Amino acid sequence: MPEAVKTEPGNGREVAFVGRSLRKTYVTGETEVHALRGVDLDIMAGEILVLLGPSGSGKSTLLNIVGGLDRPTSGELWYRDTELTALDEADLTRFRRSSIGFIFQFYNLIPSLTAEENVRLVTDIAENPMSAKEALELVGLGDRRHHFPAQLSGGEQQRVAVARAVAKRPGVLLCDEPTGALDSATGVRVLETLAEANRELGTTLILITHNAGIAAMADRVFNFLDGQIASIETNENRISASEMTW
Amino acid sequence: MVRALDTKLLRDLWRLRGQALAIGLVIGAAMATFVMALGVHHSLTQTRDAYYDRYQYGDIFVSMTRAPRSIVQRIEAVDGVAIAEGRIEQFATLEFADRIEPVRALINSVGADGESKLNRLVLAEGRGPVIDKANEVVIDKAFADANDLDLGARIDAVVYGSRTRLEVVGIGLAPDYIWSIAPGELIPDASRYGIFWMGEKALEAASGRTGAINALSLKLERGASEDEVVRHVDAIVAQYGGTGAVGREDHMSNAFLTSELDQLEAMTTIIPPIFLLVSTFLVYVVLGRTIRTEREEIGLMKAFGYGNWAIGWHYLKFAIAVALIGILMGSALGWWMGLSMTEQYAEYYRFPFLYYQVAPNVFATGAALAFGSAGIGAIGGVRAAAALTPAVAMSAPPPPIYRAGLVEKFGQWADISAVGNMIIRHIARWPGRSAVTVSGVALSLALLFATIQFIDGSRAMLDNYFFRAQRQDISVAFIEPQNEKVLFELASMPGVLRVEPARAVPVVMRNGALSERVGIEAAEIDDRLSARVDANGFEVPLPASGLMLSRPLAEKLDLAPGDRAEVELLGGRQTKTTLTVASIIDELIGTRAYARSEALSRLTRDGTPVGSANLLIDPLYRDQLITELSDMPLVLGITERDAAMQLFEEIIEENIMAMMGFYIAFAAAIAVGVVYNSARILFSERAHELATMRVLGYHRSEVGIVLLGELALLVVVAVPVGCLTGYFLAQLMVAMFSSDLFRLPFAPDRSSYGFAALVVLAAASATALIVARRVARLDMVRVLKARD
Repeated sequence: MPEAVKTEPGNGREVAFVGRSLRKTYVTGETEVHALRGVDLDIMAGEILVLLGPSGSGKSTLLNIVGGLDRPTSGELWYRDTELTALDEADLTRFRRSSIGFIFQFYNLIPSLTAEENVRLVTDIAENPMSAKEALELVGLGDRRHHFPAQLSGGEQQRVAVARAVAKRPGVLLCDEPTGALDSATGVRVLETLAEANRELGTTLILITHNAGIAAMADRVFNFLDGQIASIETNENRISASEMTW
Repeated sequence: MVRALDTKLLRDLWRLRGQALAIGLVIGAAMATFVMALGVHHSLTQTRDAYYDRYQYGDIFVSMTRAPRSIVQRIEAVDGVAIAEGRIEQFATLEFADRIEPVRALINSVGADGESKLNRLVLAEGRGPVIDKANEVVIDKAFADANDLDLGARIDAVVYGSRTRLEVVGIGLAPDYIWSIAPGELIPDASRYGIFWMGEKALEAASGRTGAINALSLKLERGASEDEVVRHVDAIVAQYGGTGAVGREDHMSNAFLTSELDQLEAMTTIIPPIFLLVSTFLVYVVLGRTIRTEREEIGLMKAFGYGNWAIGWHYLKFAIAVALIGILMGSALGWWMGLSMTEQYAEYYRFPFLYYQVAPNVFATGAALAFGSAGIGAIGGVRAAAALTPAVAMSAPPPPIYRAGLVEKFGQWADISAVGNMIIRHIARWPGRSAVTVSGVALSLALLFATIQFIDGSRAMLDNYFFRAQRQDISVAFIEPQNEKVLFELASMPGVLRVEPARAVPVVMRNGALSERVGIEAAEIDDRLSARVDANGFEVPLPASGLMLSRPLAEKLDLAPGDRAEVELLGGRQTKTTLTVASIIDELIGTRAYARSEALSRLTRDGTPVGSANLLIDPLYRDQLITELSDMPLVLGITERDAAMQLFEEIIEENIMAMMGFYIAFAAAIAVGVVYNSARILFSERAHELATMRVLGYHRSEVGIVLLGELALLVVVAVPVGCLTGYFLAQLMVAMFSSDLFRLPFAPDRSSYGFAALVVLAAASATALIVARRVARLDMVRVLKARD
């Protein structure tokens, strides 16, 4: 692990991710797009981190790399004792399976599976999951677990997605615009659930959002610009999700 | 300038090239079999007709024991007869220094320099025989080829009891011997049976028939009634031992060729429609899927002012283009296959020339059928595209709705894994498409099974005939029927263990206005060397009295057990009697009748009940016995069961080699076409879900299971469906391919089901795996952003 990591910034927490000189370049035809231009970062275990920034600023690329969906062109990335940048495809899959929970803007539920079965899709392959029923009760959908996605509202579907993500008790929850498709009240409800997982399970929560208001619930905020972290803000007084409106 | 919509069509075709090609393959298979079968049919018919016409193939044929040559004028005077020509047909036994097995020839008389008015000799090499030169013969090309005989070759022969040395002066063929078989044989064997031609005067002398003939051919005047002429001719030749005149339809050479042509026609009515049906299905599902994914584009085009017709026509053109791919591939392949098949036919059927041409209307008809099938498949999709309104089309499609239905309940009840539920519910959600996959794969299996079971049928026939019905080692045919003394003579020869007589009595059998020429085979109840075995391999006992008829004969004459048949002896006396039909037997070969010798002797009233003899021998004495038998002047021919059986097996093997490749390729074409399209559609529908699963931490192989599992389940269901369909299809094909001459039994070996299933499973697995490789290329990142 790189030396810098051992100096633990803030709150005496353990370090979850350490990234050094992360670069990502996409080549499409004759044009090169530099999505990340040498990013250094340390993400603390159990913190809530919000990634803010305009479209194309590199935050999604970073989230993908952190989640093991993509690899940087250069640089190194560690998750606890594991160097993610050295893993092969199968090991990255294993990493996602054991450590990462994903929540997407458009839920990505399997339409042919009921709420409970969508959660089971993850608990079937996880090492130490909670039961699907338990996970759904956690998001307040215990009584709707036999419904198919088409029979649920958007907010309910996103809560199923949250249940699916937390059921495996992941070390990290990655959320890409989790409230982007939801109205304010429903969005708050979803964020509350996420915050609860962070609190109860000690899960590191990394959120991408265009909604600067959401930054208020974060421990820290990374502001992205042109493939780099332009600034880092630390919230001394974070507010709970239920206090937010937009 | 290419219009934008047409540019889109080309791009769509390119994008869906794999699927278009897979459908094209199936249409191509339809086109290829259609072009091949009709092309060969057309070519053989044309060749035959030209051959018959140019070389004056007779219209009516009749044989007799012996008649004065003057009878020809009497026949020619019959109303409706244009030309009559008499000739001598004389069997000879040939001797080759290094061969023990009997070789026979049928020598036909010809006029000066090999000329004749009817059934004219076509010389491939050399010249015709001099009319009175006793040793000069023309031999048929097949015999020359099979025995490596060239011009100038000398053949030792026994003709009518005299030993002579024949010289080959020419090699040729004639339209009345396109197909020939030695009497008593089941399969033609050009190495053991030849057709020879000898000068008329020479053959008269050699066969002791100076001024006499034993066979007649006639040419009818245009519009003459064949039946009428046959009646007159029969009346004239009756006193000379006439065995009944026959038209071309019943003349052996032509009858076999015709039955082959009928089989080709049957092939065009069964096989291409199966391919076309599958291609219709495929166009239906592929176009349906394309239109669902292009809803927004359709809406956009309509918003721009394209009419329903223009949109519908655009998608119909897609189907037409796919059909065109198949038509082009199939036409070329069919043409080539037809050529090689025609050449193969030329091995069995002897023609002096071959016209291979596929008429333009064969291509046109095939293409019309292909366009039609693809068009029908496109109707559903085209109508759906036309029916979409711009507003509806441009809004996102409603997500597939899954509700708690029966299948869903089943999944919950049976505690199936989430992945298992995804598979089962998707199948249930698209029942039409699942049915197309199942029925397509099943049809591929059925077709393969139905074609390869003919090999089992041939083997069953072989077993039935050679092991159950014919138990003798050797059968000996005599020049003319003998009295019983000959049996004792044979029995006393070294190595002969048992002798049984046999005889076929030529008769006309009548029931009211219906009549049929047939040889009634005489047998004894306690015969051990021959038996009557039905299609299922069961021995059917000879009735104590009365006739036993084979089913085709009974049906032709509309006779049932208990009915009385009028029987008139042909050749010799024209005795008539009535015999009761005692039983019917389901046999594989020919239209036949049986009776006890005793019943027949009332009809024949002669003391010569032995036409041939069946021998059981000690194999140690085989060579010696054959040599001695060949030397007996009264012996016409010797048939060895083992040799015939071996030849039959060789022919089966040859056919397997020649046809198996085609059958497998065609069945695989269907399986590949169906599975590839199902897999691609499945993949495109599920790409989003599969990518989601990858994101959630499923490995490629685990995600592959969702894709392959559904296909595997459908293919597994298709196997028993295919076996069952094959079972019925095979019986239909057996029925359509059977002729008066013989029919193959439906006696599939169980392994044929297994083999067909294996081929189809292999083709399906390979295809599915190719598509499954796309799982590796799933773009997980895009899933995070995109709505499905």
